[in-house]
Amino acid sequence: MRKVSTWELLFVPLFFLLIVYPIAAIVGNVTVEGMERTFADPIFWDAVKNTLITAFFAALLGVLLALGFGYFYIFHPGTLVYKIADFMNDFPIALPHTVAGLALLLAFGRKMFWFAGPTGLAFTLLAVALAMFFVSYPLAARTIAASADEIDMDLIAVARTLGDSPANAYRRVVIPVLGEAIFSAYVLSFARSLSEFAAVIMFGGNVPGMTQVLASYVFSKVEEGEIGMAVTASAFCILLSLLLVLTLRLRGKYYARNKGCI
Amino acid sequence: MLEIRDVYKSFGKQKVLNGVSLKVSPGELQVLIGLNGSGKTTLLKILTGLLEPDKGKVQIGGRDVTQLPPEERYIGYVPQHTALFSHLTVKENILYSLHHGRGSEETFHHMVDLLALEPYLGRKPGELSGGYRSRVALARALTSTPKAMLLDEPITEVDRAKKEHILPLFRSVLVEMNIPVLYITHDPWEAEQIGTSFSIMKDGNVTRINSPAEAFAIVREQALCDGE
Ligand SMILES: Nc1ncnc2c1ncn2[C@@H]1O[C@H](COP(=O)(O)OP(=O)(O)OP(=O)(O)O)[C@@H](O)[C@H]1O
Ligand SMILES: [Mg+2]
Repeated sequence: MRKVSTWELLFVPLFFLLIVYPIAAIVGNVTVEGMERTFADPIFWDAVKNTLITAFFAALLGVLLALGFGYFYIFHPGTLVYKIADFMNDFPIALPHTVAGLALLLAFGRKMFWFAGPTGLAFTLLAVALAMFFVSYPLAARTIAASADEIDMDLIAVARTLGDSPANAYRRVVIPVLGEAIFSAYVLSFARSLSEFAAVIMFGGNVPGMTQVLASYVFSKVEEGEIGMAVTASAFCILLSLLLVLTLRLRGKYYARNKGCI
Repeated sequence: MLEIRDVYKSFGKQKVLNGVSLKVSPGELQVLIGLNGSGKTTLLKILTGLLEPDKGKVQIGGRDVTQLPPEERYIGYVPQHTALFSHLTVKENILYSLHHGRGSEETFHHMVDLLALEPYLGRKPGELSGGYRSRVALARALTSTPKAMLLDEPITEVDRAKKEHILPLFRSVLVEMNIPVLYITHDPWEAEQIGTSFSIMKDGNVTRINSPAEAFAIVREQALCDGE
């Protein structure tokens, strides 16, 4: 028989105990009653709708900005703007997202954005989207920069000699070549946005039917002692997450197959 | 006329170009021979405007272009690994510069005929052999009707047997354009096949030579020195 290595002995039980088992615990605790009550709750569907809409726009904004970052990465890597932006992609890693939420609240809340309404931009769906964007943008930027790193710079060189300005070359060559990375960046930011809780609740609030998203819905239901409903909403989140991961995987395979030899 | 006057370029402490001067006339196909790492690509990048020289001037057709960005120089460029746009078809690659009003459908058809690209127009570059990728890269550059052509080891990906066929073809197409052409290689045999005049790059300088045979001697001598 094959000798089992220490690493296998370490990995298999811990992985199943600490990663797979908790996920299974959610799925295992889903009850028919909990499902019926959750799906009959209009507030749940509002939370689903709010989550999808805000994550959609947050990821869109994230990718747009990340493409802007990619432009600096390729054409102006020596500039101060690029260096600051590059640093800022990594810097928030250790930042608690409550800090991000508070930062947004102070920047765009009543004090600075009094003209936008009684609470500034805070506690609106826009605030939810901005909070999601704030935490997911670095992911999009890093995804795009990593792929931009692998672009053959001669492609841009040739495009320039054929008449393209840097902006033209970026639009006509770099963005199409980055296609797959842009898609991944979007899906990753979307996923990251779905999962955000702390920044969303600090800046966007947790008003049922208004600014409540799935993450905050689960939190509220646990607080209210509605465990059945919290479990159902959580299982719904797991399903969404699974769908996103599968999208990325299948798309990746599709690209690998259709790229041919280059 | 393509003219470089007294160009210097260093990367940090490393002096790569040390007062390079060079002239190529219309219809002339000058081959620049140099060992790996001698600064050939650096020189071409300065000519295209992708890299700024520390000192010196670049002139094309009598105009000083040293300060102009690549898109305003009207130079055709075939880089070392052809750099075809993988998301576009062969046809779209060749017609790339039409977007900026450079070249015409007529030049396009002429190039396609000369380089026998008709059967491949609808394909993606990834589906072509090395030889045909070089042809497309050449057609793409020439279709933009440039005022000068630069080729950086354009047939590295072609095997020797096919080189014997493709070099005379490239030569006739390039000479027909009647513009200055600078062709870079480290292979004196290839130089012999395609060039009408020859120069060699050594120690950051470019010197005219009479035949690639001279390059053989110099290249061998330097290779021996490097080998020590
Ligand atoms: N952007 C850069 N930064 C620093 N050093 C560089 C840069 N580009 C080139 N060099 C250096 O300059 C020297 C000349 O490089 P270059 O690419 O011009 O040589 P080459 O003659 O084209 O070589 P090859 O035959 O391998 O293509 C090399 O030593 C290289 O390491
Ligand atoms: Mg080179």
